[in-house]
Amino acid sequence: MSEQTATVTEQRIGARAALAIGIRLVNRAPVVLACVIAVTVLTALPFSMVMRQALASHLGNSMVAEQVAQGVNMTWWTEFTEQAGTLGRTFQITIIGFAATLDNISTLADGGARPASVLWIGTFYLLLWLFLSGGILDRYARARPTRSYEFFTACGVYFVRFLRLAPLLAIVYYILFAVVHPLLLGSMYEALTYDVTVERTAFYIRLGLYLAFGALLAGVNVIFDYAKVRAVVEDRRSMIGALAAGNRFVRRNAGRVAALYLLNTLLFVGVVIVYALIAPGGESTGAGMWLGIAVSQIYLAARLWMRLVFLASETALFQGHLAHAGYVASAPIGRPEPPIVERAISPLEPRI
Amino acid sequence: MIPRAVLVLAIALACASSAAAQALSPRNASYSIDVRLDTRARTLTAREILTWTNITSASTSELQFHLYYNAWRNADSTWMREHRLTTWWRSAGARRAGDFAAIDISSLKITGGALAAIDLTQAMRFIAPDDANEDDRTVMAVTLPSPVGPGQTLTVEIAFTVKIPRPFARTGAVGNYYFLGQWFPKIGVLEPTGAWNCHQFHVGTEFFSDFGVYDVRMTVPRGWLLAATGRERERTENADGTTTHHYYQEDVHDFAWTTSPDFIEHRARFEHPGLPPVDMRLMILPEHQSQATRHLAATRAGLRHYGEMFGPYPYGHITVVDPAWRSATGGMEYPTIFTIGTSWLLPRRDPYLEDTVVHETGHQWWYGMVATNEFEDAWMDEGINQYANARVMAEEFPDGRMVRRFFGGFVPWVLDDVRWDRVIAGEFRDDYQGSPTVDVPSTPSFRYWPRTSGPMTYAKPALWLHTLERALGFTTMQQALATFFERWKFKHPRPGDLFQVVNEVSRRDLSPFFDQVYRGSAVFDYGVDGVTSTAGEDGVFTSDVVVRRHGDGIFPVTILVTLANGEQRRFAWDGGGRWHRVTLEHASRATAAQVDPDQVLLLDTNFTNNSFTTEPHAARAATKWAAIWMAWLQDQLLTWAFFF
Repeated sequence: MSEQTATVTEQRIGARAALAIGIRLVNRAPVVLACVIAVTVLTALPFSMVMRQALASHLGNSMVAEQVAQGVNMTWWTEFTEQAGTLGRTFQITIIGFAATLDNISTLADGGARPASVLWIGTFYLLLWLFLSGGILDRYARARPTRSYEFFTACGVYFVRFLRLAPLLAIVYYILFAVVHPLLLGSMYEALTYDVTVERTAFYIRLGLYLAFGALLAGVNVIFDYAKVRAVVEDRRSMIGALAAGNRFVRRNAGRVAALYLLNTLLFVGVVIVYALIAPGGESTGAGMWLGIAVSQIYLAARLWMRLVFLASETALFQGHLAHAGYVASAPIGRPEPPIVERAISPLEPRI
Repeated sequence: MIPRAVLVLAIALACASSAAAQALSPRNASYSIDVRLDTRARTLTAREILTWTNITSASTSELQFHLYYNAWRNADSTWMREHRLTTWWRSAGARRAGDFAAIDISSLKITGGALAAIDLTQAMRFIAPDDANEDDRTVMAVTLPSPVGPGQTLTVEIAFTVKIPRPFARTGAVGNYYFLGQWFPKIGVLEPTGAWNCHQFHVGTEFFSDFGVYDVRMTVPRGWLLAATGRERERTENADGTTTHHYYQEDVHDFAWTTSPDFIEHRARFEHPGLPPVDMRLMILPEHQSQATRHLAATRAGLRHYGEMFGPYPYGHITVVDPAWRSATGGMEYPTIFTIGTSWLLPRRDPYLEDTVVHETGHQWWYGMVATNEFEDAWMDEGINQYANARVMAEEFPDGRMVRRFFGGFVPWVLDDVRWDRVIAGEFRDDYQGSPTVDVPSTPSFRYWPRTSGPMTYAKPALWLHTLERALGFTTMQQALATFFERWKFKHPRPGDLFQVVNEVSRRDLSPFFDQVYRGSAVFDYGVDGVTSTAGEDGVFTSDVVVRRHGDGIFPVTILVTLANGEQRRFAWDGGGRWHRVTLEHASRATAAQVDPDQVLLLDTNFTNNSFTTEPHAARAATKWAAIWMAWLQDQLLTWAFFF
């Protein structure tokens, strides 16, 4: 190993350092966090208003509304879901408190379906997230404040590129969920537990298969994440090239990438456990109700913060691998100067 | 001096006479069976001696037998065809070639009784009385050389072998766990008309058979624990490394058994003032060992409440079996023995275990003793039992919570805010509410649409029985069912017998109600259309309340009007018209009205429209729950975004 290579290797940061940098980056850019919180709330809010209207309309002038306002009235609840449309049918008791988180993660882990209406909302949200990703990564890569114009310009620039990446990602996820998942948690699980008579054993087998599928999912997830990171940091135009580069980075730094993923996952698990302990129920009213709603929103904000830390720490890990830490290939995107300034700068420019 | 032989004969006659005097049932279909289990081949080899008496006033020149295990002999049996119409058949998983079943009779002989001994093996033929399905071999008929008249007895000797399936319909084997129900050739029921009631095996219905004495010897590998219908009389260790367990039970109409080397046995005794003691036996698997006290406590609760409500449990012993995971067995009842599937992770406040134990214990009354025809009137045992079971749960385990299971059903989560509710969770109101017209209950149950037979069999009868409880009072309802039990135990009542007893005890003609809930599929839905008040010049308000009948079902209801000063007025409406107006003149205006305010009519498919207030709270309630739903939606979006 040459001396130069050894020096570079020593300069590489580890997973813990990357996570620490990621946390610092996210905390120093509260507006980015506020932005993603706002986007999440604003995406869900209109549909929540639709749901509110459906609930209010179903309750109408019924005296049951008083009990429903106080807590869970299962008689009314089952009547509402029975009579509701597709979106209304998602109004199940598993929306309450921590059951909501379990329900969503479990549905994902078990390859469960969601109604088309929810899938469309999800698609819209993911497109928004894809749009913001470029600006977020650019902000964290530069590690210095950017103005909203610069932020959104970066969003626009990279959105077009990421849109080219999205079909690849969609295809890979489709294969994972439509082919691999049924194979692992369907056929293989059935085969492995066919003669198992002890539930605990079957649970461990399922857990193992969850981990196997989770590892595949995480593998795809990191490759695409680093593809985006490299696209932004190295100003890559070819998304196939970015994907190959992301894959190369993950392969060559598998240990640190995995360790960082694990640390971030532990962070996620920590947030989820805390919420499991304090998640509000559905029986509070008045100030208690609003406090409960606030707790839920704080938890969701923590989840978003955690996702940003994920991205920021991945960016930091990649940049730590470069010869110049904090390197970003493209010049900062600046607001174009007004024409009068341009004239002053370029006095020789021919006048029209 | 009396000769010794005469003395022995006299004692024997006295005993027989005493036994006959104590017989609880007609005992007209008694079985003596010797069966050997081969765990390697997963087969049974058996010899059965059936002693059958024609207790009808008609003669028969044919015998018909159920061969239930043939339901899983091929993919074209009626059971399998119907199974494909259900929603759960795909989730039941693929079957391997060796997982199917068969029951084959190698010999059938008349060996005694009214007819001369004769080998009828060649006279056997399969019939399909319900659907003429030539691929169904679940009913076998044999023509007799001459008719068997009223009161005559036949002894039939049958040699048969069974290929034990991977569990179907809660019988079969997986791993070292065997649960064997419906495993032997079982004679049908000869109706008073002289026609055989011997239906093919259907996916949505269970069984029907006559009472008798079961004397069964089961040979299994040494060291394997065994439990069965009845009490163990004798245990013999054989030279070939097997053990023969001899079980005996009188006055039952079926015999099931289970064996496994993995069982851990618990014994306890139920004792309660006014009720006969019962020896309880629990065969539990190691992973559920910590739940043993819950199993036994729930069995106690069932024995006590059902004993007090309907009548004592006469057998003196009961066995609870914890089935193996993958045995596709939840709760299943057989005389004096039942299974109750539980989960490894079962929170204390999840009443699933207690609910199932109480339900299966209750079947000892409704199915075990009151032996209704489960092929044709499945709602009778399941519905009455569901009603009683839900009531016991509400009384005995009031702190239960609703639980949802995640991650393949392994991980439970208790919803602290959602109480286990007698009507919703106990009587499955939401099941009924979603499909009130899928079938007319008086249709023979085996002809119900397989996908929705549950609401008709369990939910609807439980709800209308509970409706009667609320309308007539629990005391009347309890007396009616206790009378029905007492009058029809160890017999085969039909729906009309139940209706007749309820009318008799309540001293009311409830036929119009039974016509709607049993002979029809009437939908009940009453609602308040509106409340309006007009102030008169004299300061008196004229308030109008309009109540509507949205469904075709008719039921007398109460209308409760609440005035602004807090006063309440009740009005009765026979519920017959399409609408009804209540006019009230009072110094206070009416602010709210409710139709059926006490929710007597639990079959009402929409309770939300049962009330109307001029000061609605819908906005507040909707805001709260929309906000909670929004958090769920955001969580869902973040879960997806994590990977994007």
